[in-house]
Amino acid sequence: MRLAWRGTELRLLIPLVILVPLGFAVTHIAVSNALDPGPLGLAIAYVALVLAAHLALVMLGHRGDQLLLPLAATIGGVGLVMLNRLPQDLTGMTLFGVQIGMAGTQLAWFALGLAAMVAIAVFFRDDGALRHYKYTWAAAGAVLLVITFLFGAEVNGARLWLHFGPVGFQPGEAIKIVLVVFIAGYLAENRALLSDALRRIGPVKIPPLPYLLPMLAMFAIVMGIVVISKDLGTALLFYGIFLVMLFVATGRRSYVLVGLLLFLAGSFAAYQVFAHVRVRVDNWINPWADPTGSGYQTVQAIYAFGRGGLFGEGLGQGLPLISGHLPIPAIQTDFIFTAIAEELGLVGAFALLALMAALVFRGLRIAILARDDFSSLLAVGLIASIGLQTLIIVAGNAKLIPLTGITFPFVSYGGSSLLASFVVLGLLLSISHRSAMETAAPMAEPSSGQAS
Amino acid sequence: MTGEALRILILVAQFAFVGLLYLVLFAFARSLLHDLRSAERTQEAAREGIGRLTVLESPEDEPPVGRSIALGPINSIGRNVNSTIFVEDDFASATHAMLTFRGRAWFIEDQGSTNGTFVNGHRIDRPVALSYGDEVSVGRVRMRLEH
Repeated sequence: MRLAWRGTELRLLIPLVILVPLGFAVTHIAVSNALDPGPLGLAIAYVALVLAAHLALVMLGHRGDQLLLPLAATIGGVGLVMLNRLPQDLTGMTLFGVQIGMAGTQLAWFALGLAAMVAIAVFFRDDGALRHYKYTWAAAGAVLLVITFLFGAEVNGARLWLHFGPVGFQPGEAIKIVLVVFIAGYLAENRALLSDALRRIGPVKIPPLPYLLPMLAMFAIVMGIVVISKDLGTALLFYGIFLVMLFVATGRRSYVLVGLLLFLAGSFAAYQVFAHVRVRVDNWINPWADPTGSGYQTVQAIYAFGRGGLFGEGLGQGLPLISGHLPIPAIQTDFIFTAIAEELGLVGAFALLALMAALVFRGLRIAILARDDFSSLLAVGLIASIGLQTLIIVAGNAKLIPLTGITFPFVSYGGSSLLASFVVLGLLLSISHRSAMETAAPMAEPSSGQAS
Repeated sequence: MTGEALRILILVAQFAFVGLLYLVLFAFARSLLHDLRSAERTQEAAREGIGRLTVLESPEDEPPVGRSIALGPINSIGRNVNSTIFVEDDFASATHAMLTFRGRAWFIEDQGSTNGTFVNGHRIDRPVALSYGDEVSVGRVRMRLEH
């Protein structure tokens, strides 16, 4: 295989060499209150891993997008700085009798994720296996969902964990990707039918009933997740991804309208029927009704945002302990954005969100440049999953919408989530690689490092 | 080192961290912008590449005779001012015909116009593939497809 020089990627990865160790050092100095940068092993290992992934792509002649990896690595780097700053005994793993702290565990997952990304980006050259067996994939996803329901462990009122010995795994993350593959396959095949035959009922155009069925089926699946696994965040995410892909495939606003109406009706019904939904909504409307009980997490998060202000409390200087504990439960996963907003302030949080926006923009660009409907829709769905997930959790942290527990991609602590995010990145890289190889000469040569 | 000096050091390092984050962000923004510009240029080049329509005959002189119009992949022809190729002619319909580049070939399709669309003098009743050099008539305006 020929080498493919990835100059832009390398140039954008260089700042990480300073950024991540600097973050580690600042945190340690601030916490220990002595001029001691502390152990930088994890930070250096992280940068080395990312550079190794870059090198692997170069060696294997990959011509895919050059901004995806640096963007994800920068976002992940900020996340790792924050995870390293939090108390390491919040969670962690014992492997072969050795206790690894939280940041160490996360780093191990980063290694696995980057390896998966490179493998998928390089060896996944033909999307037939995804496209042709879409119903098989959908069935596999459904089976996974059922298994989780039957054998899953319940944590915080949601049933979304499967345990294999010491390693826990969230099937929802795998189902998310499988779902995007299925919807992309279905829509690529039927988009003409879905976008043409519309019937006019009153002021809105409605597609004929047979074509509405997949949408209703999707709605049923989502409601099933809400009822069975009580996982509101995932349900909201799946439904959002579906609507985005449907709109992109057909260009029909009426589908989105119908989808949103169904969503409103479903939410209302869920609020009426399920206690766990009602608790979330009530906490959103007024967390101060029960500030030490069910509203505690949200109230503490709002205080944390307030303490952070514009420039933040400083790395390692925020998050005061309340009777020996961090004030916000699940700060390393669902509320990692709150922790970043407190210590780096609005400026830091904004930078993180801007990086995420750039990543989403890049994903949409890959979708536009993709050579066929399936690849294009796949790219849209995958990047929508990352973008919507960020929106839902950030808005939940900031009390813009009811809090639903999902992870901040590349930032939150959690192996399944991190692995899934890197699989998404790998698939996007492979799609952009194929369109770069198939397009005529001017596009096949991505801008070199010096060009910009 | 005194506590005061240490505090200042932490503050400076802190701002260096956020500043570096913004520098990275700026570098990303520049790369994105650069890519957008080059994509725009290739698109323009591609548009110039697929074909042009040269006006041969136009009684109302809109479009003027002799003008050569660069074509995109999808072109609407008609008296509607929003048409890609705006034709000011009493015998043309508002949305008269569609000229599209699909795969490797040009196609023209009448959009239910009153007076019909003609290719090399023959009225078309279905989408017709065009070759370079073919003449298309919309109302009294006659144009030639060129590369």
